[in-house]
Amino acid sequence: MVHVHDPRARWGVPASQVLRIIPAAEWQAGPAVDLLAPMGPVPSGGAHARRVMIVYGAGDRETALLATGTINIDDVDSTNVLPLPDTLAATAPEVSAIVVAHDASLSLLLKPSAVISPDDSRAS
Amino acid sequence: MRSFVPITIDATWVAVDMATVREIGGPLTWIALPTATATLPGVSAWRGRAVAVADLAAVLGAGERLVSPTGRVRTLYLQQGTSTLAVPVDAVREPLMIPDDDIRPSRVRSDAFCLGEANVEGHTTLIVDLGVLLPGYRPAAAARGLQ
Repeated sequence: MVHVHDPRARWGVPASQVLRIIPAAEWQAGPAVDLLAPMGPVPSGGAHARRVMIVYGAGDRETALLATGTINIDDVDSTNVLPLPDTLAATAPEVSAIVVAHDASLSLLLKPSAVISPDDSRAS
Repeated sequence: MRSFVPITIDATWVAVDMATVREIGGPLTWIALPTATATLPGVSAWRGRAVAVADLAAVLGAGERLVSPTGRVRTLYLQQGTSTLAVPVDAVREPLMIPDDDIRPSRVRSDAFCLGEANVEGHTTLIVDLGVLLPGYRPAAAARGLQ
């Protein structure tokens, strides 16, 4: 799994669903999606603060997720991936599960196919 | 006569039906969801599954809101229908029996979660059903008897 240590919340995407990771400035196809925007503004600072993770979003469209913070790749045991309860699934469609780390800390497992690019949301 | 577990959050006393309490634990580790509500702000891991976290301070409109990743000193795990809620609280008191006649309509709250109020250890204590926070929740027969 590719994990992004965003200061607002750690999140990740299955490595198989990550197309590439590039500096944000190199993404010219449209605005990047900041999925954690409701949790506060993008933290500033750090050379790796402005990268984007390119995934296949809704409609199999290449979508850039703003990846603020250190990025690393971890092996995750499937028993540590806990699907979101039905109670919350409707309010957070882009989150499919939480991942429990060895130190019991938690991260959000995102579902790229549920991420709508800003261009598409404006069109609808 | 029914059993309740009194809890406190900030200076507010609240009691939940003992029948809904699955476990009383220590501090909670949880993670916020970006598009969650103030009353159900995030999720935690419990017994090998993810459960919703309820912020009683947001529900009551009193006390400091939860800030991920830490909870409060104690955590109540409540079974509400088919869902489980993790509810961080400041303190958990001894369970006690309250006769139905001692539960009166709340004088200060008309919220759906508030079933009434009673005196516990000299404190006006809200009897609550936090299941109403969950979409599609149907109150248990026992709770309906209080309304």
